[in-house]
Amino acid sequence: MTAMTRILIRHEFILGILFVIVLFAMASQNDRFLTTANLLNQARLMTEVGLIAIPMTFVIVTGGIDLSVGSILGLCAILLGVFWQNLGLPLPAAIGLSLAAGTAAGFANGLIVTRFRVPPLIATLATLALYRGLAEGISQARSVRGYPDWFAVLGRGDFLGIPTQLWLFALVAAVGIFVLRFTTFGRTTYAIGNNEAAAEFSGLPVVRTKLLIYTASGFISALAAIVFVSRVSTTRSDMGSGIELEVITAVVLGGTSIFGGRGMVIGTLIGLCLMQILQNGLSLSGVRGDGTTVVIGAVLIVAVLISNLLSRFSSD
Amino acid sequence: MKKLITALLGASLLSTPVFAQSAWTGGDDQPTNPLACTGESPAPEPGEYNGGTPTNAPDRNGKDLTVVDIPKLVGVGYFASTASGMQEAAKELGNITINTDGPTRANIDEQITFVDNYITSGVDGILFAANDPVAIAPVLEKALEAGINVVGYDADAEADARQWFVNQALPNGVAKSMMDQLASEIGEDGSFAIVTSTFTTPNQARWISEMQAYTEKCYPNLKFLETVEAQEDNILSFNQAQTLINKYGDELNGILGMTSVATPAAAEAVQQNSLCGKVSVVGLALPNAMKPYINSDCIQSTILWNTVDLGYAAAQVMRQVADGTLKPGATTVTAGRLGELQIVNQSQVLLGQPKVFTKADINDFDF
Repeated sequence: MTAMTRILIRHEFILGILFVIVLFAMASQNDRFLTTANLLNQARLMTEVGLIAIPMTFVIVTGGIDLSVGSILGLCAILLGVFWQNLGLPLPAAIGLSLAAGTAAGFANGLIVTRFRVPPLIATLATLALYRGLAEGISQARSVRGYPDWFAVLGRGDFLGIPTQLWLFALVAAVGIFVLRFTTFGRTTYAIGNNEAAAEFSGLPVVRTKLLIYTASGFISALAAIVFVSRVSTTRSDMGSGIELEVITAVVLGGTSIFGGRGMVIGTLIGLCLMQILQNGLSLSGVRGDGTTVVIGAVLIVAVLISNLLSRFSSD
Repeated sequence: MKKLITALLGASLLSTPVFAQSAWTGGDDQPTNPLACTGESPAPEPGEYNGGTPTNAPDRNGKDLTVVDIPKLVGVGYFASTASGMQEAAKELGNITINTDGPTRANIDEQITFVDNYITSGVDGILFAANDPVAIAPVLEKALEAGINVVGYDADAEADARQWFVNQALPNGVAKSMMDQLASEIGEDGSFAIVTSTFTTPNQARWISEMQAYTEKCYPNLKFLETVEAQEDNILSFNQAQTLINKYGDELNGILGMTSVATPAAAEAVQQNSLCGKVSVVGLALPNAMKPYINSDCIQSTILWNTVDLGYAAAQVMRQVADGTLKPGATTVTAGRLGELQIVNQSQVLLGQPKVFTKADINDFDF
């Protein structure tokens, strides 16, 4: 098989074509869809999910999963509010502490998965409940409001005509692409996903790599919490509930194998954008919220089916 | 001081024990404003308009309107019934199309995305019930800036982020309905206890204070026993009601449920103790949750606002805001079959007094 056909049947390439088709289909349905204002606005709305999807790609490539990201987001959002308002710390210090708490929460996930050998699905299902419970307990169901104006720049402001948080997202995505594609760390990640025992016997730092990946997942979830709080200017304990499913959908739609060993950050990005324009485009053409959910589920299945069929065809 | 004199005076004249006049537990210490015992209370001054104004809104007077209704969540009886009230108004008016769409969970982030998408799609008006008053404000302000008419109902946003808000009930109205119903069931000299969520929950604490003020004014011989906390937890509410029944025995004539969880749980406790007819349960609860107890004649009533009317009024207000006939400074608004509704709290339309659902009409409602 030539290198050309190998690229053509890659999941990411098929997804890219699907993305372009959907883009034009939506644009022909509604003339308000393909405008710079709408597209930039959609990019702003998808930033939190997008941020978390980058480390999630790493997690799933190792064959793991992190269900606790939404709860970490909620916990860090609450902590930001509590540190700032109840403890009276300056906002930058509260942001720093909140990021540290998110990193610690991710590190705890990593410890449970690596040291105690609990399967990631169960470990993070437990911390999903634990972190959300902490968030609700700390907040006492009260929300924190009245953040200063400068803080809103991150979530609602623009820099050079582009939403501020999009720059942050671009930076995180670029780092993700570079690390997974071009570094030893990235190759170790693939090796763990392909065969963890083999990777360990080859002397690769399996435990350290996984620990770092889960910690990064916690850190980026905290970062997404800061962006989220800035965008909606309030803090609630139910923030980010269910976001883990959107994140995982984007990653899996992007061609990352849930069994590990295969996947690219670029695929995650296309999957994410495809989901967002589907949601937005369908909503603009008058499809109701429940209908949109059905379509996204169908697209996910179709995309995975096509990719499976083609890869079977190619390996013959 | 004045209150103390009144209390002492009341105590000496009516020879009720002084402790009965001390503050009920679970209330807040905010000033109260009890309504008149019988008949209409004079309308309070609405005050200066503090809602927002859409920027460069086109002239929509009499034109066909496309309006989206974005409740806290879809797929639940409560908001299905507000939506049906809106459809009723739309049919009556004939020149307004209302489409209800929203998140399937009461999630503020998803709700914001829905509002945002509908701003882009270019609707004429947005009706909303906010999951969070502050978090939804920026996106509603964006709608106003885009020249869209914005009206809230059921759960408000910050006042300047919308034009009007249709308020289903004021605290003193809830207090009057609750105490009038209780007195009619247990007599004007019965004893009662309260099951609330927590002593610090804002809505419940406000209602309890208003109930105390109204009781002192209108039913001075009703005897308050105690308030117990039950979070909003089904099992805990049941246990607390059970404890009250055991603790006070024959002395207990009525239980007031302050949450939609506590009221059916108290009714269940009364039924299981075979105290139907001996201990009354009066409280706020969804009709569906109370139907089993009311249909079996164990409990007489449940109190809530009429959610169909709430949606109906919201749609009527939206039409008049778009037409420009409801302007800042108005003191009443005519809302179709509901007649004249009062303007209160600067920029809110008051639906009226809460509705008491009884066996006669509860089966006509499904939420």
